[in-house]
Amino acid sequence: MAAPTALKRELLPLARILGGISHLKPRSLTVCSGHRKCSVTRSCLPLTPSTSFHTATFLSSSPSAITVTEEPDTLFQKLLVSVKSHDSAVLDSYEFFATMAAKELGITIGKVFEPPKDIKRMTLLKSVHIFKKHRVQYEMRTHYRCIELSHITGSTAKVYLEYIQRNLPEGVAMEVKKTAMEKVPDHILKPLWEDVPAEDKPGQ
Amino acid sequence: MASRTTKALLSLGRINIPALGLNNAVSRVTYATALSVNSSSSKKGAPERNGRGFGSRKPRREAEGPRTEKMPVDQDWTAVYPAATPFRPGSVPLPVRMGYPVKGGVPPEKKGNLELIKIPNFLHLTPAAIKKHCEALKPFCTEWPSALDTDAKCDEHFPIKVECTDYVSSGLSVRNPSARIVQLKVKLSVLNLDDHARKKMLKLVGERYCKDTDVLTITTDRCPLRQQNYDYAQYLLTVLYHESWKTEAWEAEKTVADMEEYSWEGSPSQKNITDLLLRMNVAGEGEGEEVREQLLGRSEVQEYKDSVTRLKNEGDNEGSVLQYKEAVKKVFNL
Repeated sequence: MAAPTALKRELLPLARILGGISHLKPRSLTVCSGHRKCSVTRSCLPLTPSTSFHTATFLSSSPSAITVTEEPDTLFQKLLVSVKSHDSAVLDSYEFFATMAAKELGITIGKVFEPPKDIKRMTLLKSVHIFKKHRVQYEMRTHYRCIELSHITGSTAKVYLEYIQRNLPEGVAMEVKKTAMEKVPDHILKPLWEDVPAEDKPGQ
Repeated sequence: MASRTTKALLSLGRINIPALGLNNAVSRVTYATALSVNSSSSKKGAPERNGRGFGSRKPRREAEGPRTEKMPVDQDWTAVYPAATPFRPGSVPLPVRMGYPVKGGVPPEKKGNLELIKIPNFLHLTPAAIKKHCEALKPFCTEWPSALDTDAKCDEHFPIKVECTDYVSSGLSVRNPSARIVQLKVKLSVLNLDDHARKKMLKLVGERYCKDTDVLTITTDRCPLRQQNYDYAQYLLTVLYHESWKTEAWEAEKTVADMEEYSWEGSPSQKNITDLLLRMNVAGEGEGEEVREQLLGRSEVQEYKDSVTRLKNEGDNEGSVLQYKEAVKKVFNL
């Protein structure tokens, strides 16, 4: 079966999309401008130079630039998105948002589960000097949430992950484990010693 | 005249001049503007001047209530909260209460409530907003090829799995050094390896191979960039493959201790059983090479050979020990 020569698309800055939806343009500008630069360069690097990315301002009137390249799209067998935070209520809302976004974009959701929380406790002296019998105890709770997505292409993964990460709330950290699948490369199909038997094999 | 004095006085800054007939609002004004200020001449102010006069010159607007009272029920919420913003009690038409309740009372209301402002809110990500965003994002997504619906098919056509991790967190730096680690997993059954090549590959690779799942895992983190680590992992795989097909001169010195599996031919067990059978005079003839070979050809001896090989390779489990017992009994005709 031939490798799927899928299409590769560019990402439009989300601010433009939000700007198109909302009627309050200045607000969407200020919100997203901080994030825009770094993610733009990241997503732009592997793409062909025919972009309107760097030159387009937020609210340019040119149509959305979707370039289609013949380069085959990467295929991700599994995408494990795990978020952690000190507040489980925030993670509940975020999980609802992420699962709904995945459903809307047509991504198959594997399973959504909650690993047990970690509690780090420390018992410290209450006073600066002496009073060893009087201590104070603190604890830090870290809650986790994992969303497993399967069978997702590279372009869709980029779109989904950028959307998810832009809307990551304050105080929440994310780890994304990507498992890409590839064919066996051509130089490993046959040993190259077969073609050159007469040549002296190099050293021990 | 009066206006000129006012102007000069104004440029000095904050001065309280109630005697001039102006309102007390003057004391609050610290503008040093060059705009002409017609103070007493036009108290009501000509309509064009309204925006440029004192704050007191404008007709006072009544303080309107919060926006929530004027919101229609079927409004477009995505227009009220298009992006992530802190909680605004005047914009959210919900009777939310948050905080520790007053003694014998209820939690404080939303007006002026700091607790509601502190927490992250998802008011900009309502289901309607998510649908709108996804509608706009749909053109940038591609479909998964329909022929690869099961994991088995994916493994068959795309056997090499490359794992890498991305990290997103807030801190002094956007980067995370653990993001450069790349793990390459491949099943050895997929690669074109013959017997000798497979054994040599296993010896070269050592701990990176898992016998139960037949998966070779190459983890690279010695380069600073992920792309470099990925290239290095591919290079390692290529080199391992080609080197394992090579046969070096010193490989002929492989001893019994280096062997991965037990082979019965030429082992002490074979010698023992042939000697035993000879001494028992099973064949009924004298010693000689042909007699030994004939003995070895017997079915009981073959069964014994199978059972010993199984014991040595698989270890002591019930099945192998029982098989050994049966074979020994047959050899001795018990």
